[in-house]
Amino acid sequence: MQSKEEIQRKVAAVLVDALNVDEEEVTPEARLQADLGAESIDFLDIVFRLEREFGIKIPRGELFPESIFQGDPDFIKDGRVTPRGLAELKAKMPFADLSKFEKNPTLEGISDLFTVDAIVNYIENKLQAA
Amino acid sequence: MLLKDQVALVTGGSRGIGRAIVLALAREGARVAFVYKGAREAAEQLVAEVTKTGGSAVALQGDVAQADTASRIVEKVLSDWGRVDILVNNAGIIRDGLFVRVEQDDWDAVIDTNLGGVFQFCKALAMRMASQRSGRIINISSVAADFVNKGQCNYAASKGAVNSFTRALAVELAGRGVTVNAVAPGFIATDMSEAVRNKAGDLIQKMIPMKRLGQPEDVAAVIVFLASPAAAYVTGQVLTVDGGLSLGISGP
Repeated sequence: MQSKEEIQRKVAAVLVDALNVDEEEVTPEARLQADLGAESIDFLDIVFRLEREFGIKIPRGELFPESIFQGDPDFIKDGRVTPRGLAELKAKMPFADLSKFEKNPTLEGISDLFTVDAIVNYIENKLQAA
Repeated sequence: MLLKDQVALVTGGSRGIGRAIVLALAREGARVAFVYKGAREAAEQLVAEVTKTGGSAVALQGDVAQADTASRIVEKVLSDWGRVDILVNNAGIIRDGLFVRVEQDDWDAVIDTNLGGVFQFCKALAMRMASQRSGRIINISSVAADFVNKGQCNYAASKGAVNSFTRALAVELAGRGVTVNAVAPGFIATDMSEAVRNKAGDLIQKMIPMKRLGQPEDVAAVIVFLASPAAAYVTGQVLTVDGGLSLGISGP
């Protein structure tokens, strides 16, 4: 089992490579999109690199759940995430910290949930389960 | 040499335009893997020709219309050479006939090769190129996509789709430094256009403002340009190489 520090270090290295950012920018709270400039294809690249780095398989939609983003009226209404959508997010992203997001669950806010720390937690859970 | 130490993969490489592309890329220093379907002898001769001039080429058999061909070929190239910098989707076929006589098989064969092959090889390499933050994808289209001929519904549809696909993929990969362009040749002196040329005779030459058929080398030179550093800022374009044919009817 790898230590949390080890996972953090490897995840940071993956993000430096995938997003072409400096190591100092990759803080635990850094948001992939808003802070590190990730675009849609970058998310795929991150998955691709994490799979290689940790020798794991990341099923589509597991790390970056896409279903919530498709404008499903059950989950998103008038640019806000509905209670059902919030429950869905929590279920799909147990590794993310939703406490701040819950207070103002806007559609744009979803991307802020993808932080460096969320990825580290995800990998940690994944390796534990393996 | 413009492409020193780069790795190129060319489909339909043993004959016609593809052959000229293989030679041109190798001449610029690229290591070239090319795919051929049936022309083994031509493929072997081409490898020998490249090797003789100090270049590096390898021939791999495969039908691009088959779903598993691209992944197999790409894996092989990656295991031998570690990367692919330039992908030229050149493999293409015609099954001409008036639409009412086109059978399902004629439709499928053309779409699966001309469009499906492009899809398969791009699929096998796009993520990797995006990941390495560099790459050139060049799809060989045809002026027949937009300037249509009778008897080419399937061919025109496949090439029109390649043009649209080229633009759509270019947008997705642009942020990663991967360019995606197409080249649309006019009448080029190859085996593929021979039947049409025989039927039409001198008429074709008269229709072309430059008054000559294109040579495979005319097209290959444009591929080299698109693969070279000079074309770094060009993406999502369909470059026509036809001696002016598509500009309109050329009078006396």
